[in-house]
Amino acid sequence: MLEVRDLVVAYGDLRVLWDVSLDVHAGEIVVLIGPNGAGKTTLLRTIAGLQRPLSGDITLEHAPIHRISMHQIVERGLILVPEGRRLFGGMSVLENLELGAFTARARQKRHQTLDRVFDLFPLLAERSGQRAATLSGGQQQMVAIGRALMGLPRLLMLDEPSFGLAPLVVRQIFAVVRDISREGVTVLLVEQNARLALDLADRAYIVEQGRIVGQGAGTELLANQHVRHAYLGYAPQTGEVTRIRD
Amino acid sequence: MSYETIAQNLVFGLFVGSMYGVAAVGLALVFGVLKVLNVAHGELLMIGGYVTFWLYTLLGIDPFLSLLISIPALFLFGLALDRVIFRHVVRLAGETKIKNSLLVSFGLTLILQNAVIQLFSADERGVQMSYSGAGLNLFGVALPYTRMLIMVIALVAILSLHIFLQRTYTGKAIRATAEDWEAAALAGISIQRIYLLTFGLGAALAGMAGTLVSVSYGVAPGIGLAWTLKALVVIVLAGTGSILGAFPVGLLLGAAEALSGTFIGPAYREVVGLVLFLLVLLLRPQGLFARA
Amino acid sequence: MHETVERVAQQTTAPPRRGWLWPGLAVALAALLALVPQFVKRDDVLNLCFMVFLYISLGQSWNMLAGFAGQTSLGHAALFGIGALTTRMLWTNGEPFALALLLGGLAATIFALIIGVPTFRLRGAYFTIGTLAMAEALRITVSQTMPLVSTLPTDQIVGYNLATRYYVALALALATVGTAALLLRSRLSLGMLAVREDEEAAQATGVNPLKHKLIAFTISSFFAGLAGGVFAFQQVSYYPEAAFSPSWTFDALLISFVGGLGTLGGPVIGALFYILVREELAVTLVNFHQIIFGILFIIVVLVFPGGLVEAWARLRKARWLPWRGR
Repeated sequence: MLEVRDLVVAYGDLRVLWDVSLDVHAGEIVVLIGPNGAGKTTLLRTIAGLQRPLSGDITLEHAPIHRISMHQIVERGLILVPEGRRLFGGMSVLENLELGAFTARARQKRHQTLDRVFDLFPLLAERSGQRAATLSGGQQQMVAIGRALMGLPRLLMLDEPSFGLAPLVVRQIFAVVRDISREGVTVLLVEQNARLALDLADRAYIVEQGRIVGQGAGTELLANQHVRHAYLGYAPQTGEVTRIRD
Repeated sequence: MSYETIAQNLVFGLFVGSMYGVAAVGLALVFGVLKVLNVAHGELLMIGGYVTFWLYTLLGIDPFLSLLISIPALFLFGLALDRVIFRHVVRLAGETKIKNSLLVSFGLTLILQNAVIQLFSADERGVQMSYSGAGLNLFGVALPYTRMLIMVIALVAILSLHIFLQRTYTGKAIRATAEDWEAAALAGISIQRIYLLTFGLGAALAGMAGTLVSVSYGVAPGIGLAWTLKALVVIVLAGTGSILGAFPVGLLLGAAEALSGTFIGPAYREVVGLVLFLLVLLLRPQGLFARA
Repeated sequence: MHETVERVAQQTTAPPRRGWLWPGLAVALAALLALVPQFVKRDDVLNLCFMVFLYISLGQSWNMLAGFAGQTSLGHAALFGIGALTTRMLWTNGEPFALALLLGGLAATIFALIIGVPTFRLRGAYFTIGTLAMAEALRITVSQTMPLVSTLPTDQIVGYNLATRYYVALALALATVGTAALLLRSRLSLGMLAVREDEEAAQATGVNPLKHKLIAFTISSFFAGLAGGVFAFQQVSYYPEAAFSPSWTFDALLISFVGGLGTLGGPVIGALFYILVREELAVTLVNFHQIIFGILFIIVVLVFPGGLVEAWARLRKARWLPWRGR
């Protein structure tokens, strides 16, 4: 569904992504794991159109999207829940959600979508009139995901949804992501919490220093030595090889 | 000095303050949403005044009715300016964007001001209607109909804008863009369209203020800078975060000028605002009324 | 590729070898200009030259603050006006002109030092608007407190020597450009450049931003004040408020930007271009030159930041040198 080929991204003279290629097939949950500063957020931002790549292509359902405007990308069904939530703090929960349905396609169905969002997040229904800035981190994350859902995404991207949230809330969020996926939305997820992410994932990519250094099924990577040491907190045993590539 | 004189001056200060307010809100809207400083705002006001003047002189259209033409005309002009000039500035980042928009709009003031001089000469123009002198007299204070109409129209405009921003979808999209344009773009809002629309609105408000000014003060090609400065003073006093808050602050400025003119001397009326402005800039740059 | 690198190396190391060329040319040019009034007696030509020299000083003085140090001040007219006012008052009261002029420059400098420290607490657009507000406040105050006009006493009018004005303006232009050239060669200019590009980064590397801004401001104000004084010297009927008019600031902006902000030759080319276009068009279309310059200005800001100086440089090095972005 989504194809990224040889993507090169730079901020000014500073190159951040080096020939990154990945695929996301329809209906999958694909996860990107890797250390801080590896370029995962940059990758998602570039796919969403916030950043223009120096070279490479991004195609969504066989149509190129790396040169079109951001609102067109959203119209085609690719929506990003950005890092740090980025809600419109001065506006109410309801207004934040409604603004997610700006495109014509989404606006038509917004009442139904809103009901669905409130089904997924009953808490938000209670607080629909509350100013977004006064919500807790977990509630804000719900609004952020809800806002993205209001746009009727075919591919939903999430950048570190667990950031700064309590473990219980994180589990809730991940459960919702699983539900969304079951309803047919393809998911591309960036996560620091590798264990939860790999549990959830169908497939995963490992991003280190702006490059894809490995990929595989979620279960495969959970068992992989390098991943276990680098991201799952296991200590290396003597004689063990800890690199994923030779 | 009698109470009547003080009251009279104060009331007139409020009248002119309502025009300050409308002009300032227009500029605040553009600055708040596009993060762009258009110092040609005063020139847009001036052009609005000229539109009214010529509609009255050539076609006999009452200036208040001409609002129906000057507002859309300046709105369209604003759209054109955004498309041709400011679109290239909004892509820049933060400080460079503000600085370059300042410079670019400065060039624009030269073009607009001198084009008007070429076309219409540098003479001052005013609009005098048959009812220009008439008015009420309350407790010894003269209240001309024209001034009262100006105030009412200004209030209606600001209230309409408020409703638009708070209750319509597009209005909310504008507020969202002002707060966080990246998040707005990610939600599927077309930032280019929002910027275009907002700039047009800002120009329309300037044009409206210009019409009101032509009825009360008269217009000349050179009035642009003074009005831009007034609008800037109001915006800084109100806090660069608030858009509609600029209107009450405009009224306050008018009142403050009137009072200082009454008690210190008419010569220093204009200076009061500028001095206040500088003091606020130095001591409390987020404005007098900004939330902490 | 190798050849390109060689050429780039050549270009960047070439100037020192020709170190005496530009000053030598400047001296020759100055000598030539000094001879002009001996041969040309037409008042309009001498007046035109006077204007060019005055505007060179006006623009170059502003350029030192805005171009070299990156502080876009819109208060230049205040300094120009203070210099003009001080010089005029002292001179018409009997002081020798040279002294009056010097004191005019000093008055402007002192004013700059007083307001400099608080004003530089403002950053970016706030600084720009703040300086504009300050200059306007000063102009309004002057217009309210000073007499409307001062005219020279009759004997001065009769003995009015345009050639003297010419020489004074020429001397000032040379002094201003010369000072700018020396400033560019000094270590100070590196600090100013750092502040211009990124104030925080400059501070992190040990450059004191306030010190460099103030130095640039002081030098800029001194020459702005002198320019004002020269202007006051030239005027028969002197209107105090006119010297504080924001058009002096805007003209300085225009000629610096269009000529090439931050360069040595920019204000010179810009002033020449501006005055000539103004004179050409003044007969037919009074203010049309402003419209042209407004358009040029916008083009420079949006597309061509190097102005005429860059255009000239590009023309000379067109084909083989790869353009290195800012």
